Amino acid sequence: MTQARKKKLTARIITAIVLYVLAAILILVSVFGFFLRGSDSIQNNLNTMRTHAVLHAASGGLVDSIASQARSDKLKELRARKDFRTLGLDEVNSTCDAAAAAARAEAEALYSNATVQNAAGLENAINAMEKAMSVYGGLREKERAVYSDLYVSLVENVPDWTDLLSAAQEDDAKLFSSLATWAEDLSVPANAHLQDGFVKLAHSMAEKEQAADDAELLQQLTASMVGAVSDWTELSELDDEALWEALNREVEGFSAAEAFKTDLLKKAKEYISAAEKGETIAVETKDEGAATVYDTVTDYSFFTASDALNAASEGVESAYQQLWGELNEIIPDLANLDKKMQKTIRTTLENTVWSGGIDYSSRYNAYAAQEGSEALSGSAAFLMQLSALARNILIAGIALCLLASLFMFWDTLTKRFGIPRTIITLFFIYLCLAAVLYDISVPMMLSNVMIRMGMYGILVLAMMPGIQCGIGLNMGMTIGCIAGLLGIVLSLQFNMTGWYGLLFSCVSGAILALPLGWAYSKLLNRMKGSEMTISTYVGFSFVALMCIGWMMLPFNNPKIIWLLSGHGLRVTHSLLGSYAHLLDEFLAFEVLGVTVPTGLLLFLLVCCLLMWLFSRSRTGIAMSAVGSNPRFAEASGISVNKMRTIGTVLSTMIAAVGIVIYSQAFGYAQLYTAPRQLGFIAASAILIGGATVRKAKVSHVIFGVFLFEGVLVLGQQIANAAVAGGGLSEVMRIMISNGIILYALTQTGGASRE
Amino acid sequence: MSAEYILEMNGITKEYGSNAVLKDVTLRIRPGEIHALLGENGAGKSTLMNVLFGMPVIHSTGGFKGEVLLNGERVRIMSPMDAMEKGIGMVHQEFMLIPGFSITDNIKLNREITKPWAVSKVLGKDLEFLNVQAMSRDARKALDDVGMGIDEFALVSGLPVGHMQFIEIAREIDKTGIKLLVFDEPTAVLTESEAAQLLSVMKNIAASGIAIIFITHRLDEVMEAADNITILRDGRLVSTLKKTETTAEQLAALMIGRGEESVIQVDKRKEAPSEKIAMSIRNLWVDMPGEVCRGINLDVHEGEILGIGGLAGQGKIGIPNGIMGLYDAVGDVELFGKKLPLNDTTSALQAGLAFVSEDRRGVGLLLDQSIEDNIVFSAMQVHRDFLKGPLHLKDTKKIRKTAEDMIQKLDIRCTSPAQATGTLSGGNQQKVCVARALMLNPKFLFVSEPTRGIDIGAKQLVLETLVRLGREQHMTIIMVSSELQELRSICDRIAIISEGKVAAILQPDDSDTAFGLAMSGAQLKGGETA
Repeated sequence: MTQARKKKLTARIITAIVLYVLAAILILVSVFGFFLRGSDSIQNNLNTMRTHAVLHAASGGLVDSIASQARSDKLKELRARKDFRTLGLDEVNSTCDAAAAAARAEAEALYSNATVQNAAGLENAINAMEKAMSVYGGLREKERAVYSDLYVSLVENVPDWTDLLSAAQEDDAKLFSSLATWAEDLSVPANAHLQDGFVKLAHSMAEKEQAADDAELLQQLTASMVGAVSDWTELSELDDEALWEALNREVEGFSAAEAFKTDLLKKAKEYISAAEKGETIAVETKDEGAATVYDTVTDYSFFTASDALNAASEGVESAYQQLWGELNEIIPDLANLDKKMQKTIRTTLENTVWSGGIDYSSRYNAYAAQEGSEALSGSAAFLMQLSALARNILIAGIALCLLASLFMFWDTLTKRFGIPRTIITLFFIYLCLAAVLYDISVPMMLSNVMIRMGMYGILVLAMMPGIQCGIGLNMGMTIGCIAGLLGIVLSLQFNMTGWYGLLFSCVSGAILALPLGWAYSKLLNRMKGSEMTISTYVGFSFVALMCIGWMMLPFNNPKIIWLLSGHGLRVTHSLLGSYAHLLDEFLAFEVLGVTVPTGLLLFLLVCCLLMWLFSRSRTGIAMSAVGSNPRFAEASGISVNKMRTIGTVLSTMIAAVGIVIYSQAFGYAQLYTAPRQLGFIAASAILIGGATVRKAKVSHVIFGVFLFEGVLVLGQQIANAAVAGGGLSEVMRIMISNGIILYALTQTGGASRE
Repeated sequence: MSAEYILEMNGITKEYGSNAVLKDVTLRIRPGEIHALLGENGAGKSTLMNVLFGMPVIHSTGGFKGEVLLNGERVRIMSPMDAMEKGIGMVHQEFMLIPGFSITDNIKLNREITKPWAVSKVLGKDLEFLNVQAMSRDARKALDDVGMGIDEFALVSGLPVGHMQFIEIAREIDKTGIKLLVFDEPTAVLTESEAAQLLSVMKNIAASGIAIIFITHRLDEVMEAADNITILRDGRLVSTLKKTETTAEQLAALMIGRGEESVIQVDKRKEAPSEKIAMSIRNLWVDMPGEVCRGINLDVHEGEILGIGGLAGQGKIGIPNGIMGLYDAVGDVELFGKKLPLNDTTSALQAGLAFVSEDRRGVGLLLDQSIEDNIVFSAMQVHRDFLKGPLHLKDTKKIRKTAEDMIQKLDIRCTSPAQATGTLSGGNQQKVCVARALMLNPKFLFVSEPTRGIDIGAKQLVLETLVRLGREQHMTIIMVSSELQELRSICDRIAIISEGKVAAILQPDDSDTAFGLAMSGAQLKGGETA
C-alpha cells in the first residue's frame, strides 16, 4: 500500500517539475519578449509596419470604393434592361457580386503593390501626423473632462434654471456669473471659452423645465376639467368659442389658462366624442416625477473648444494634408475619390496612425489589423509577434507555475486549508497578477474589495452563530434580512435621516428579528438533522410571504409607496437622501489612490470583536459545544434546544443589522425577492474562509469575505478585460458560491460516515 | 455415502489487520445434533458464523485460514446466498421479516411457488402468477412443525415478538434441502414458556435429521437442549464437551476462567469499607436502546469501588446513563441521603456526580477542540469555574495551567494542551475524559467501560488512577465494564446485571463458576437471590 502511495507521490512530483520547467521556459521567453521591445531593430520594424499599414489602409479604401462603384454600375446597367423584372433576386445579386469581385481584383493588382518613391517623406508625414494627433487627443481629453465636471456640478446643483434665467434678464454675462456661483471653476480664466456653451446650456435647461412645468399644469387643468364637467354630451353641439366659454363657467381656474386654450379644447372634444360613444373618461397620468429628473450623464453638445485645442486641431489637419499628399503621390488615383469615401479613409488612417495610447502591444495590434505585419517576414516577423505576445506568455507562465505548485504541495496545502480554499486562494493570487498585467487599476480594485467586504461582512458574520449552535448553514437568515429591511422602510416612513436613521434601522430591525428568529428556532428544534433543507425552504417561503406583506403593510409615506395605487411599498428605495454611504464615508481617507471606507470596516471589526468575545463566554462555549457534539453538551447538563435557540436568534438579529449595513453601502434598499440569494452568498463566503458546517470562527468570516469578494471583484474586471461582454462575473459568482456549498456538504457527509 | 460430520470447520484463523479474533478454532457438527456454541462477548462466536456464511466482511478483509467441509467435502462459501444454496440456514437474532406482508408471504419470500400463464410463457418467469394454495399449504406445514396454530394469512405486523421468532424458524425449515440451522440467541427476547416451546421445536427439528448450532449464553437452556457443547474464549477453542459429561458450573468456569492473568496488581483494601450508604438505587428502569434496565436495586457504600459487570445488552450500561439523565429513567435514587431528580443532567452534575461515558468519541469528547478546552468544559458549565473579568470570559491562562497539571498527573501523551483531542490515541482520549470528570471535583464517579479499545499501558494507568481516587480521596466509584478480569482486580464488590436486573453481587475473589452462572442468568431460576 505504501508502495502504491510512493508511486503516486513520485508521479505527482515529476508532473510538478515538468510543469515548473515549462513555466520557467514561458517566463524566460516572455522576459525575452519584453526585453526585445526596447531594442532599436524592433522599433524600426514597428515603423515599417506602420508605414505599410497606412499604405494598406489607403489602397484598401480605394479598392473598396472601386469595387462598390463597379457593383452599383452593374446594378444600374441591369435595371436599364427590359427584362430586369424577370430576373430573380439571387441572379441580380450574383451578377453584381461578380462584377464587384472582378473590379476588386483588378484594382488590387493595380494598387496594392504601389511603389513607394519617397519612403522617407511618407514616414515623416506619418510621424508628424501621429505627434499632432497625440497632442490634440491629450488636450481634448483634458478639456472634455473639465467640461464634464462643470456640467455635472451645474446640473446637480442648480435648483431652478428658469429662475436663474429670469434673474439674469437676458444678459448673458450676468447669467454666466450666476452660473459660476454653482460651479466655482467656471470663472477660472482658462475656462473662458466654455462661457457660450454653458449659457446655451442654461437656456436649453430652462426650456426643458418650462416644458415640464407646462405639461404638469396642463395635466392638472385636464384633471380639474374632468372633475368639474358632469355630462360631456351636453357640450357636444358647441363651437370652439362657445365651448371655451362653457368650460370657463364650469371649471375653476380656466380663466387664467388662456395659454393652453388649444390643447384644452382638443382634450375636451376628445372627451365629448368619448362620452357620446359611452366610453368612460379617465385622465392619463404620467410617470411620477419623470419631468424633474435630469440625466447626469454629460451632454457634450454644448462643449466649445479652447483656442489651444483649435490650434491643435488645425495642426492635425495640416499634418493630414501632408500625409494625404504623400499618399496621392504614391497612388494618384486617390484624388479621384468622392468626398464621402475620402472621409472614411481618413478615419481608418487616423485610427491606424494613432492607436490612442503608447502601449506597445496595442500599437502592434492596430498595425497588424491593417495587415502591417505583412511588411515583415521570417525571423523579424516572429520576433515582433513574440514581443507583442510577451504579456500573455507571462500570464500563462505564472498560471502554469501556480498549477505546478498546486501539484507539488497538494498534500500540505489541502491538509492545511482544504481543497476549495487552496484552489480559490491560488485563483485569487492568479487574478491579482493578471490584474496587474491587464493594466487594471489596482487602487480602485482594492477600494472596491474593501467596500464589498464591509457590505457583506456582517451578513457573513450572521452565519457564524448558526454554525456554532449546530443548525448548520443558516439559509433562513433571509428572515433576519427582511426584519432589517422592515427597519429601513420604517426609518424612511418617518423621514429619519443621517446617523439617527441608520441607528434606528439597525435597532428596530434587530428588535423585529428577535421574535421571528425565536419562532424560527422553535421550528428548527423540531426538525433536527434536516436543518439545511428546512432553513432554505423557510427562507424562500418567508420571502414569498413578505412579497404579499410589502403590499399589505400600512405604510403611507408617499416617498416609499406606489404612487398610482396609493398603497404597497415600492421595490427599490434610494437611501441617497437618508443615510446612503454614511458609514463608508465616515473617517474615510485616501492612501495611494485607495479609498479606505474606515467607518464600514470599523463597524465590521467591532461586530467581529463582539462575536469573538461572545464565543469566549460560558454561553458561547456551550453553544459551540452543542454545534460540534450535541450529545457531549447534553452530558454536561447543557440544554441543546436552548443553545440552538440562542444561536438562531443571534444569527437572525445579526442578519437584520447586516442588511441595513449592506443597503447603506449599496445606496438602495431592495424589497420583495431581492434578499433571496443573500443566504447563499454568506454561506459560501464563510465556507471559503475555512469554516465547516459544524465549526466557524471569526477569522473564517474575515478571511472568507475578503477572498470571496476579492475573487469576484477581480474576476469581474479581468473577465471583462479578457472576454468581451458582461455576465461572466455573475456566472462565476453562482458557480463559486454553489460549488463551495456543495463541497462543504459532501465533506460533512464523509465525516459522519467515519 | 454420508460423512460422520455434516459440518467440519478445521483450524479456522481470522485476523482483522494484526488483531487475531479467531485462532485455530475447530467445530464439528454431526447430523441431527444440537450443538451449543458458548462464549462471552467478543469470544469469536459471531466471527465464526460470519466465516460459515461467507459474509462480505470476511472476504473484504482478506479472508480466513483453515478449511470448511460440508458432508465431508471441502467447500468455499463466498456469500450468504451461497450458504443458503448449500443447505445452511440462519435464524437471526434481529428478525428479518417484512411487517406489511402475511406470514405465508414472509415464509415464501423469494422462493414463491408460481404457475405459468399465457403472458409469462412469452415474457418469462418473472410474470408468472403466485400459486397461493400451494404456498399456504407449505406455510401451514412449516407452522405446524414449529407448533404454531396461528392463521398463515395473518399479517406479521402486530404479532407478538415471540411469534416472529417462530415464523423465522418456520421459514428456515420450509427451505428444501436444509441440513444445518444456526440459532443466534433465539431465546433472548422470548418469555419463559415461549423459550421452552422453542427448545422442544429445536429438538423436533433435530430429530428430523437437521443439525442445529445453538448460540446462547443461557447455561440452563444449554443443559436442557444441547447434545454437544463447544466453548470459545478470546478467539480460542477452550474445549468441546458432551452434555452428559459436564455440568453448568463447569461450563460457567470454562467460559470465564482466566484467574491467573490479572490486569493490574492492586493491594487489597486494608480497612473494611464504610457501611454508610452513598447511593441507593431502588427499582430503576432505564429506557436506553439495547441496554434496558428493568428494575435495578442496588446500594453503594461510601468510598468503595463498585463494579458492574454482565454481558453486553443486559442493561449494565443503562445504569449510569439513566442516573445521569442521558436516557429516560424512572425509579428512586438517593445520593448521600438526598433524593436525586432523574432525567436532569444539570442537577445530577451539581449534586456531585460525574460520568465518564463508554462512548468516548460520541459523548465523551469534543473531537475538534483542544485538550484544555475539553478538560475544563464541564467545570466551566456546571460550576462556572475558569471564567474571569466583568464579562465572565474564559480565563485562558488558568485553563492552560490546570490543563498542564492534569496532563502531567494523568500522563496524557500530547504535543501541547492545544492539540485537538481527535488526534489523540484512544488511551489518551480516555485520560482526557477522566480529567474532565475530575475537574468537577465529584463526590461520586461513574466510569463506564473505561478500558474499551485502549492499549495495555493506558489501561493500567486508568485503572490505577481509579484506585488512587477511591483509596486516597475517598471518592465513591461505580465502574461499569465488560472486562470481568478488570472488575475483579480493582473493585471491592461486583454486581452482575442480567436481563436488566441485578443477578448477583459478588466478591472479587468468588469463583469463576459463580460469575459465569450469574452472567448467564442461571440463578434467576432459583429465585431472586440478589
